[in-house]
Amino acid sequence: MRWRKFVQGIALAAVVALSASACLSESGGGGGGGGGASGSGDKQVEILFGFGGDQSKGFQAGLKDFQQSSGITIKFSEASQSFDTIVRTRVQGNNLPDIALFPQPGVLLDIAKGGKVQDLTTLLNIDQLKSTLVPGELDAATSDGKVYGVPMSMNVKSLVWYPKKAFEAKGYTIPKTVAELEALTNKIKADGTPPWCVGIESAAATGWPATDWIEEFVLRYGGPETYDKWTKHEIPFTDPVVKQAATEFEKLALADGNVFGGRKGVVSNAFATAANPMFQDPPKCFLHRQGNFITQKGFFPDKVRTNLDTDVGVFQLPGTSPDSRPVLGGGDLAGAFSKDDDTKKVLEFITSDKFNGGTKEGSYISPHKTFDLAQYPDNTTKEIAKLAYESTIFRFDGSDLMPGAVGAGSFWRGMTAWISGQKDLDQTLKDIDQSWPS
Amino acid sequence: MIRVINAVLAIVGGVGAALLLYYVLNKVVEGLPGKWEDRIKPYVFIGPAVLAIGLYLLYPAVRTIILSFANAQSTAWVGLENYTDLLGSRDFQITLINTLLWIAIVPAVTVAFGLGIAVLADRLGPQAEKLTKSTIFLPMAISGVGAATIWRFIYETRPKGEPQIGLQNAIITLFGFDPVAWLQLDTLRVNSFLLMIILIWAQAGFSMVLLSAAVKGVPEETLEAARIDGANERQIFFRVIVPQIWGTVITVFITVLIVVLKIFDIVYVMTNGNFNTDVIAVRFFNELFRSGDNGRAAAIVVMLMIAVLPVVIYQVRHFRAEEAAR
Repeated sequence: MRWRKFVQGIALAAVVALSASACLSESGGGGGGGGGASGSGDKQVEILFGFGGDQSKGFQAGLKDFQQSSGITIKFSEASQSFDTIVRTRVQGNNLPDIALFPQPGVLLDIAKGGKVQDLTTLLNIDQLKSTLVPGELDAATSDGKVYGVPMSMNVKSLVWYPKKAFEAKGYTIPKTVAELEALTNKIKADGTPPWCVGIESAAATGWPATDWIEEFVLRYGGPETYDKWTKHEIPFTDPVVKQAATEFEKLALADGNVFGGRKGVVSNAFATAANPMFQDPPKCFLHRQGNFITQKGFFPDKVRTNLDTDVGVFQLPGTSPDSRPVLGGGDLAGAFSKDDDTKKVLEFITSDKFNGGTKEGSYISPHKTFDLAQYPDNTTKEIAKLAYESTIFRFDGSDLMPGAVGAGSFWRGMTAWISGQKDLDQTLKDIDQSWPS
Repeated sequence: MIRVINAVLAIVGGVGAALLLYYVLNKVVEGLPGKWEDRIKPYVFIGPAVLAIGLYLLYPAVRTIILSFANAQSTAWVGLENYTDLLGSRDFQITLINTLLWIAIVPAVTVAFGLGIAVLADRLGPQAEKLTKSTIFLPMAISGVGAATIWRFIYETRPKGEPQIGLQNAIITLFGFDPVAWLQLDTLRVNSFLLMIILIWAQAGFSMVLLSAAVKGVPEETLEAARIDGANERQIFFRVIVPQIWGTVITVFITVLIVVLKIFDIVYVMTNGNFNTDVIAVRFFNELFRSGDNGRAAAIVVMLMIAVLPVVIYQVRHFRAEEAAR
């Protein structure tokens, strides 16, 4: 009799335990997933992205009409503090967004190794995209014939900014070659002002602006083929051309008296505002190399931003000869974690030349050569976009192409340690080379 | 809103189900013959807790140890490669040295500060004592990230000629010196010490409160006896007070030591381990979340676990000895 009661009890306990665990897992799934990557037909698409501020506002504004006409609700998940760590965590936890915008193809390809990223050749008309995109943008996230990311926006990095009025008043001229740039640097220095403003501080991403400098000169001295080999690690980081590039950077912008605030200042200056002493009267420096995004709100001073065309000049970082003018750039690549119709429609729209992700608000530049130039708010942006659209050699930012361990890790840290003086150049390049994942 | 309801439901449902489960299990065991009821009952109540700890603590720990022998994507075994690579790299050696420096300096200094303040404050008037202690305890309420952000403004540096918004540089430029990039001063690990100051600043209050209570608990008679025997103040402090509060000193020391072993937020916010200031936890974070290298990250955690283990064992033994003495 007692044993029978015992068996009944066991059965009851099992039911309770089962229902308790079922209830918990159900609510856990609902709370954590948030509808992301859940399935087709729910008219909901989550986009995870790493930019903030006006760029984010512009992007969301660019999708406003689309949401109304298509009936698809887009959930904007902004991860502007550290996109790469957040996207990795979400992928590891299988809490997938439908679409993620990767500024770093290397990170996207890393994650694609896990098999959760869709091959976009099945979702989009790649050939058609290829015909209008700036060459090189699409190659960035292509691996073994599979396209994991298609650009939503682009940025142009090979730009040198200068305070237009003061620059012209001093009688300086725009250099056509690296040698002329060196001469200009020396001339400004001789006139008593440090020529360059450089800042590589960027919180946990400190060091990345310095990697751009190295990439620029590897592209210039080594040419596009060597550059591609370098970003794929077919030539080592210790290759002479990398050292030559770093030495050129050092000679131009790190040498004593060449940079405002000195070499240590380069490491402690925030990249976003590093150029601003250039707009004081008299200018504290005359040259600043940075991508087009430096003109956005919170970066350049407000009073300069409102008079961009008259106050600020910009020229393309020259090549080794007047005819060689390669452009280095980047962009946000849209990768997909789900492949239902809604995701497809959103992807098609944001990767088309019809998409305007905030030319007014967030210094957006379309990666399509067919984009209507009249949409750019000022001549400066128009000129920069034209530079990229007309470029013969365009390459994606190398550190973004490299695997995360290098491109978002040892390369940043190595540059920081080298400029700050913890390591010499040879040691730095050796350490970065060894950190490349096998 | 749905999420909130979901969360509430999960909590209510979870707690309710747990209660119900225990109730039913209890009923079941009561249904057993008397002798068996007594034998099984303790396990029925302790069992779920042991299971939960096993599932949420032991299982991940074991899994971490296993993964530390696998590659970055945890798809193939690599033997000891993660360990040898890490220990062979100069960057990681610096990381280990820094962590050791933190261990050697921060707990000892925190205890010394806390004890010093506790003893000195004890001699103040009641109002002054309250004020001093509250002020020193205040940083305890600030999170690590908050503290680091505050201290960034103390160490901040701007190029010469720009207004210095960092406190230290504002002071030294006032006297005509050039601004110093404090966090880049890696000679003799000065920058690491500057970071340690932040943790000491944050933890001194905790140390002071516990030690102050202990100091106040020292019986007045023992002090009087020592004075009658002709002991001077220093002798009283080291030979009478300190031995009587030694248990508290050890507890504070070990608590701070464990905080130090896990130190992450301050270093991550201030330097992210640049300029030779890296410590184990920051390195682990960067390996896992920036490099996406599961193997190395696991290996670092295993090393950290090995480092913490003796401390934990000592702590448990010490606690048992104290309990036994009572």
